[in-house]
Amino acid sequence: MRTALIGLAFGTAFGALLAWGGMSDPAVIEDMLLFRSVDLFLLMGSAMAVAGVGARILRRARARSLVGGTEIEWTSTRPTTAHVGGSALFGIGWAVSLTCPGPLAAQIGSGNAAAVATGLGVLGGIFLAGWWRARATAARTSTAMGAAAIGL
Amino acid sequence: MAHGPWWVVGPSIGLLVVGLLWTLNKPLGALGGWVDVAAWLRAPRTAPSWRVMFLGGVVLGGLVHALATGHLVMGFANAPLAAHLGGSAVGVAVASVAAGGAIGFGARIAGGCTSGHAISGTALGSPASFVACGTFMTVAVGTAHAIAWLTGGV
Repeated sequence: MRTALIGLAFGTAFGALLAWGGMSDPAVIEDMLLFRSVDLFLLMGSAMAVAGVGARILRRARARSLVGGTEIEWTSTRPTTAHVGGSALFGIGWAVSLTCPGPLAAQIGSGNAAAVATGLGVLGGIFLAGWWRARATAARTSTAMGAAAIGL
Repeated sequence: MAHGPWWVVGPSIGLLVVGLLWTLNKPLGALGGWVDVAAWLRAPRTAPSWRVMFLGGVVLGGLVHALATGHLVMGFANAPLAAHLGGSAVGVAVASVAAGGAIGFGARIAGGCTSGHAISGTALGSPASFVACGTFMTVAVGTAHAIAWLTGGV
């Protein structure tokens, strides 16, 4: 319950900041992607820098989470072809709709029906990705079984 | 509409990433909320995860901002996309759903979106996030320029 409320609070602050910063405005995203304005690059860069420094201070201080009391840590992932292929597709969708998963939710909150359409597409894409990954795993398993059957 | 200055909004978002790490020990990312909503739709009797609540909060935050600034849309609005499609509302709806599908499928396969990879992931030094961020930034900039060129915008 407490975790859910904390999630809601952080989400609300994040959504309000995205809207205030102009990230939920498709025209602002277009200005960024066409290099008409550098503001959003600076915004993202400063968010990254503050998050990076803050996270390392927490880790160096061996801070424990305020809920649960676990040691603050995070995982580092090695890049794969999925990170490239998936992100390329994501980049096309981002440039066409001029929105992405966070700002999209803030747009829905502002009463924009176009964002609801994009959101339904996002949910459809997530379902499709789940099906696609399950199929890829099944194909790998059957290939391995086939290889074992013919003695490879 | 007047927007908040980048040097206030950006660092504030950075502090939210740090705050979420400090309270729940979780990386901030919007895609996870959508993934959990998709899972929740298949099992609606279970309690919504904190990530579903986080995404609900983002919607609420958008509403709060719209009410505070008097910019509630209550309609179908994506002016730049509509301009690319010659003002066709059906075109905007179809393009929005299709682009949403590419966003959902692509980000799910890549394990994150703009907030999860480009802000949290790079800040936390994950190599996969730098690759994902570099890829979608390059592709999005290229696609936007291609669309502008095709529609005679640049």
